[in-house]
Amino acid sequence: MTNKIKVFRAMRNMTQEDLADKIGVTRQTIIAIEKNKYVPSLELAFKIADEFNEKIENVFEYK
Amino acid sequence: MTYKQFKIMRVLIASFISATVAMAIVYNNILLSLAGVLIGILFIFLVHKKTKAVLVDERIKSIGGKAARLTYTISTITIAFLSLMFTMTGKHTGQADYEMLGILLSYIALFNLALYSLSYKFISKKYGEADDE
Repeated sequence: MTNKIKVFRAMRNMTQEDLADKIGVTRQTIIAIEKNKYVPSLELAFKIADEFNEKIENVFEYK
Repeated sequence: MTYKQFKIMRVLIASFISATVAMAIVYNNILLSLAGVLIGILFIFLVHKKTKAVLVDERIKSIGGKAARLTYTISTITIAFLSLMFTMTGKHTGQADYEMLGILLSYIALFNLALYSLSYKFISKKYGEADDE
């Protein structure tokens, strides 16, 4: 599973801490997801996509 | 309180508890150590309440679950192995103390297994174990 969280964050000038605060997780979790070391739950994946106003398939990709 | 401030406070409280317990050992005063630990627990509780940052999320819970399972596996196997060793040694040497210790350890291992099975069943039901239809 890969994702484009870093890209969407950069497009919105958002730090990892900002995103973590908005979706209610720790910054370490955002770091782990961005590095593809942790696969988020479906709920968290939807929350992240919602935060970027994007569809989940635009943010996450299953390979 | 931010996560960074929380981490600093946690270190300060841990230092306070260690210092109090060390002083209690030096002065041979059990009440001092008890008071130190209780005050520490109270402070940790208050700091948790004051912290607005997220301290636990799904990743931390997942890590905790895996760590707990690993701890359970290692501790149960170790206790069961030790129980076997003590029981065998006790039987061979005729020392009743070793045998008793072995039996006690085997009961602890069994208690661990029973507790794990019960909590697994309970949590499994909570998360919708498949019912026969």
